Amino acid sequence: MSSAISTAPQSGAPLIYHLRDVVKTREAKDAAFTLRIPSLQIAMGEKIALIGESGSGKSTLLDMLAFILQPSEIGAFSFRPERDEQPLNIQAYWKKGKINELGDLRKRYIGYVMQNGGLLPYLTVRDNMNLCRSVLGLRPDGMVEHLADELGITAHLNKLPDALSTGERQRVAIGRAVAHRPSIVIADEPTASLDPYAAEKVMSMFIGLAEEFDITVILASHAWDHIKQLGLRRLTHRTIRNHNKMFTETVVTG
Amino acid sequence: MARSWSKIFHLAIRDYVHEWLMSICFVLALAAVLGPMMVLFGLKFGIVGAMVDQLIENPLNREVRPVGSGYYDHAWLETVLERPDVAFLVPRTRSIAATIELSSEHSPRIVPVELIPSDHGDPLLSPDDPLPEGVTRLVLSQSVAEKLKVAPGDTLDGSLTRHFRGQQERVHLPLSIAAIAPAAAFSRDGAFVSVALLEALEDFRDGRAVPSLGWDGDAADANRTYPGFRLYARSIYDVAGLRDAFSKLDVDVHTHTTEIELVQRLNRNLTSIYWAIALVGLVGFSLSLGANLWANIDRKRKELSVLRLVGFRTADIVWFPMVQSLFTAVLGWALAVAIYLVTALVINDMLAAQLETGQQVCRLLPWHYAIALLLTCTSAVLAAGLAGLRSARVEPSEGLRDL
Ligand SMILES: Nc1ncnc2c1ncn2[C@@H]1O[C@H](COP(=O)(O)OP(=O)(O)OP(=O)(O)O)[C@@H](O)[C@H]1O
Ligand SMILES: [Mg+2]
Repeated sequence: MSSAISTAPQSGAPLIYHLRDVVKTREAKDAAFTLRIPSLQIAMGEKIALIGESGSGKSTLLDMLAFILQPSEIGAFSFRPERDEQPLNIQAYWKKGKINELGDLRKRYIGYVMQNGGLLPYLTVRDNMNLCRSVLGLRPDGMVEHLADELGITAHLNKLPDALSTGERQRVAIGRAVAHRPSIVIADEPTASLDPYAAEKVMSMFIGLAEEFDITVILASHAWDHIKQLGLRRLTHRTIRNHNKMFTETVVTG
Repeated sequence: MARSWSKIFHLAIRDYVHEWLMSICFVLALAAVLGPMMVLFGLKFGIVGAMVDQLIENPLNREVRPVGSGYYDHAWLETVLERPDVAFLVPRTRSIAATIELSSEHSPRIVPVELIPSDHGDPLLSPDDPLPEGVTRLVLSQSVAEKLKVAPGDTLDGSLTRHFRGQQERVHLPLSIAAIAPAAAFSRDGAFVSVALLEALEDFRDGRAVPSLGWDGDAADANRTYPGFRLYARSIYDVAGLRDAFSKLDVDVHTHTTEIELVQRLNRNLTSIYWAIALVGLVGFSLSLGANLWANIDRKRKELSVLRLVGFRTADIVWFPMVQSLFTAVLGWALAVAIYLVTALVINDMLAAQLETGQQVCRLLPWHYAIALLLTCTSAVLAAGLAGLRSARVEPSEGLRDL
């Protein structure tokens, strides 16, 4: 069982995510896992940290927020990526099985950083960073070069990912998630495979970029220590495991 | 829409080239199955095809020969010639009368030869050579040409005798050689001549006058009948029908129907054996291709999930493995064709000595290649489409977890 402090979303800013009573249940052979979200509100421009031990459901929550995992139950799930537009009802998309339309939303508004980069091995660093942009049909405007410069990977732009260190690959992944100027970047333990020093450096680069481009950030990590100085709002969660570990339930609010 | 398709096409090519070693393996695996299958088909088509061709083309098997002698007049022969299944028909004169003695200035020998009535379209003679014509031009069989040491264009002396009004009488006539017949046409000493010449010789021997050659005798008979004829059916398939038609007319004929049936049965049996092998090969081929592509797509599930994550649609994601499979199919087919062509060349070369010119043991027609390509591409697209659809259906988060 663990718990954490939380602060309410900044008042005034519109809510980019608003979830109520969202549940994801996963059943394996002899273990069941339930993630419950009685209420979750994330305002535009917020930087959220989701801290928890392994297996507590961080990835599960992030995947639902990125529309790549369907919740088992939804009370309400609205998504408002544009300040001037009405919130979208994500529950309705899932209900009608509009996976492609959810993909279109993701393409337009969300950047996703995977734990181990998720770079395409057959594309150069430049093309990997350009992937989301080119899918959207954005013209080259120096953004990729600018990001590469900020992330310190300019020298690697024409290399394939195999030729990069893990930390460099994570930086490319961050660059890719930011390059098309999404409203939100979701990062699932982006620095888990790095040493603490490199992790701290990459993380501050990431937050720096998010601030530069005014991007909402949702970040999962199993350690608070190396990100506490970045000024993120921490989500509250509580994990209950029964004695023989047959059943785990995590409740997240914030 | 079009943009994301061309984007996916581009990415599929990049991945295919990046994984060139794997790609080569898949292409080799495909060609290793398809190549031998094409050789097998080539053999089936070549050997059986050549056999059937030979059967259909071989005039000896198409011959319908009357047994014994009859009285066939012009009108009767005319009606027979009108039948669509009759390709060639000329009357024969009495065989005792159809001989002549030939001599040439190149050789001291005098060779008695059989005369064979001939005309335009004679299946025994080469259509490219000049034909026997009138009462002076003939086509020699090869054995005679050798004995007399003559070549086309040379002139021969033909002579024959008769007992006429109690006297032995010998006449000579100059004959020019239009051509030498192919060896297979007639194996004995013989010459192909026009019906007009045969009639003239028969008339001379019967003591009738032949004004065109200046031979004296009685007046000619107006209603000529012939004891026999040379007849060839249009194809071997018409022989049995002709034989039945003649037997209805009370004309006993000799045909090669038993030989024809034997080879036809052999052809049928061979064809079914080949089809059985081909079917097994085809099933094996489809399974190996399908399994290969399926395994490849399973391997790429994570990368396909990344594409899903950056917003590609289901249709685009299915397109990705299909493009790659199409590459494998086309390249594998091309390699298989190369394997086939080399093998066929070697086989045909090896057996060239035993074959007539132009015949091939191993042979495929252009549309056979097209069918092989179509079949390969269809199986490839089908397998890749199914596998791609399966991986596109997996929840993207699942694919990303298999990192
Ligand atoms: N595909 C699945 N099928 C069944 N159970 C799953 C599946 N994926 C995850 N789980 C379970 O869900 C729970 C939460 O998993 P999740 O990946 O969200 O944890 P996490 O907090 O991201 O852990 P980590 O820090 O190790 O990445 C785990 O107990 C796991 O066993
Ligand atoms: Mg996780």
